[in-house]
Amino acid sequence: MNNVLKFKNKKTDVTAQDEIYNFAYLDENTKRMIRRALIKALCIPGYQVPFSSREMPMPYGWGTGGVQVTSSCLTTDDVIKVIDQGADDTTNAVSIRNFFKKTANIETTEKTSQASIIQTRHRIPEEKLKEKQILVYQVPIPEPLAFLEPRYQETKKMHALSEYGIMHVKLYEDITKNGHIETAYAYPVKTNERYIMDPSPIPKFDNPKMNNNPAIQLFGAGREQRIYAIPPYTEVTSLDFEDYPFDPSKAPHKCSICGSNESFLDEIITDDDGNRSFICSDTNYCNQRMENN
Amino acid sequence: MQPILSVHNLNKYYGNQVGCKNMNLTLYPGEVVGVVGESGSGKTTFINSISGNLIPDSGKILIETGNETIDFLEISESLKRLLIRTELAFVHQNPRDGLRLDVSAGGNISERLMSIGQRNYGNIRQTIFKWLDKVEIDKSRVDDFPRTFSGGMLQRLQIAKNLVTSPKIIFMDEPTGGLDVSVQAKILDLLRKLVRELNLSVVIVSHDLAVIRLLADKIIVMKNGEAVESGLCDQVLDDPQHSYTQLLVSSVLRV
Repeated sequence: MNNVLKFKNKKTDVTAQDEIYNFAYLDENTKRMIRRALIKALCIPGYQVPFSSREMPMPYGWGTGGVQVTSSCLTTDDVIKVIDQGADDTTNAVSIRNFFKKTANIETTEKTSQASIIQTRHRIPEEKLKEKQILVYQVPIPEPLAFLEPRYQETKKMHALSEYGIMHVKLYEDITKNGHIETAYAYPVKTNERYIMDPSPIPKFDNPKMNNNPAIQLFGAGREQRIYAIPPYTEVTSLDFEDYPFDPSKAPHKCSICGSNESFLDEIITDDDGNRSFICSDTNYCNQRMENN
Repeated sequence: MQPILSVHNLNKYYGNQVGCKNMNLTLYPGEVVGVVGESGSGKTTFINSISGNLIPDSGKILIETGNETIDFLEISESLKRLLIRTELAFVHQNPRDGLRLDVSAGGNISERLMSIGQRNYGNIRQTIFKWLDKVEIDKSRVDDFPRTFSGGMLQRLQIAKNLVTSPKIIFMDEPTGGLDVSVQAKILDLLRKLVRELNLSVVIVSHDLAVIRLLADKIIVMKNGEAVESGLCDQVLDDPQHSYTQLLVSSVLRV
C-alpha cells in the first residue's frame, strides 16, 4: 500500500484511470515473490527457479513471463525499451511498451544506451550493454532438455547431477544429418561452467554477447512458470565439439539500409519475383547509423 | 580373486506380495550367472533390484570397482547414476525400452560416450563404427533411425549402446525374448563371442534353459520369489536336485 502512495506522490500527472492499477500492474506481494525468485536465480546462474506466474492481460506466448519480471524490477526512475526480434516498432514491442507507459507511467525510449531496462523477444541489441542495465528475455520453453527428455522430474535430476550427455546427442545428430551444427536459434549454452541453459530463441549469432556481459540478464517464462538469470560478467559458453567448434554465423550480406557488415540481418522478400534484401533486425542500431552518417 | 558383485539377503516386497526374498548372488569377473524360473517367479524383480532400477527393501549389494568396494544401496543418488551409466549396463528384453527411437543408431551408441565427457566428433564416429562392426550391423545403417530396424538388429543395437563404455557388469533381462529362433541363435552367438572376447561379467535372466546353458557358468533357479537351487550351470541342469528344477529341466521341448 505504501508503495502505491509513494508512486502517486512522485508522479503527479497520473490520470484518474491509471490509479486503478498498482505501479507496473502487478500487486506488491506478487512482485516480492518474483524478486525472491530473481535473487535466487542470480545466485545460481542458469538454474531454473519455479515461480507462481500470474494471469496477465495478454495471452501466453506474448511475453507474460518477461512482463512479470520487468514489472517486478521497475522503479519510477527507470527508462524502458521493448524490442521484438530486434525491432522497436512491431506489435508486441509497441503494446508492451504502452502497457508499462500506462500502468507505471514511466519514461520509454528506443535508444539502447538510454534504457535502464530492456525487455526483449528473440534478440540481444547490437549496441554493447553497460553495467546497471537489465536485459529481460521472454522465454517460451525454459527447459533445454525438454525436446530430448519429456519427463520434467527426470530433467530436474539431470540438471542436479550434471548429466548432460544427451544434449550433445542432439548436436551429434545435427552434424550427422547436415555436416555441421544446424541449430541456429535457442542454441544451448553452459552458464558459469555448471548449468546448461536455453538462451530463449535468440539467434546463435547473439550467443557470444551473453558471455561476460556487464548487464544483468533475466529470463522469464510465464506459461512454464520458470525464472532464470545470468549475473553480470558471467562466463557463458555455447556447446560444441572439439572438431566442430561453435560458429556464430550470419547471412553473408550487408544491411541494404545502413550498410552494416556486423549486425544480424532479416531477410525481406521484396516482390513476387523472389527478389530479396537484407536489413538490420535491430532497428535502433540501423537508425542510429543512418543518423550519424 | 574378489567377486565384482555380491548380493546378500536381498528382499523386495510389493506391499504384502513377495517380489523376491532372501536372494544371494556372487559374480566374479568374467563370469556369467543365469537366473531362471517361470513367469512371476521374481526373476525380473531381482535383476531390477540389483541393477538400480528398483529400490529393494533390505539386503546388501557390494560392487568392486577395482580400487574400492561400493555399497550400492548406501551411496548417493549422483554416484549411483554415474555408476549406472559407466560401470553398469542394462539390456532390456524390449530393445525399445533401452533405445531412443527418435535418435539415429549412431546417436544412440554415442550417448554414453558423450555423457562421460567425449567431445570429439571424429573419435566418437570411429568408436560407433567399431561397435556396429562388433555387433554385426552394416555400417551404412549408422544414420538410420532405430524404428527402421528389425527386432534382431534393434537388440544388437541395444547391446552396442550398452557396451560402448566398457561397463564392468552387464545385466540382461531376457535379451532374446520375443525374437524368432534363428535370430535368437544369432544374438546368443554374438553375446557368447562378446562375453569371451571382452571378458564381461554378466547377470542374465531368462526362462529359456537353452539360453542359460549356452551362456551361463553358474545358475540360480527361482520359484515364488526365492532361490530354490543354485550352483554350476552344467551340474544343476544335468543333475537337478530340487523337484521344481527337475520339472523345469524335464519340460524342455526336444525336437
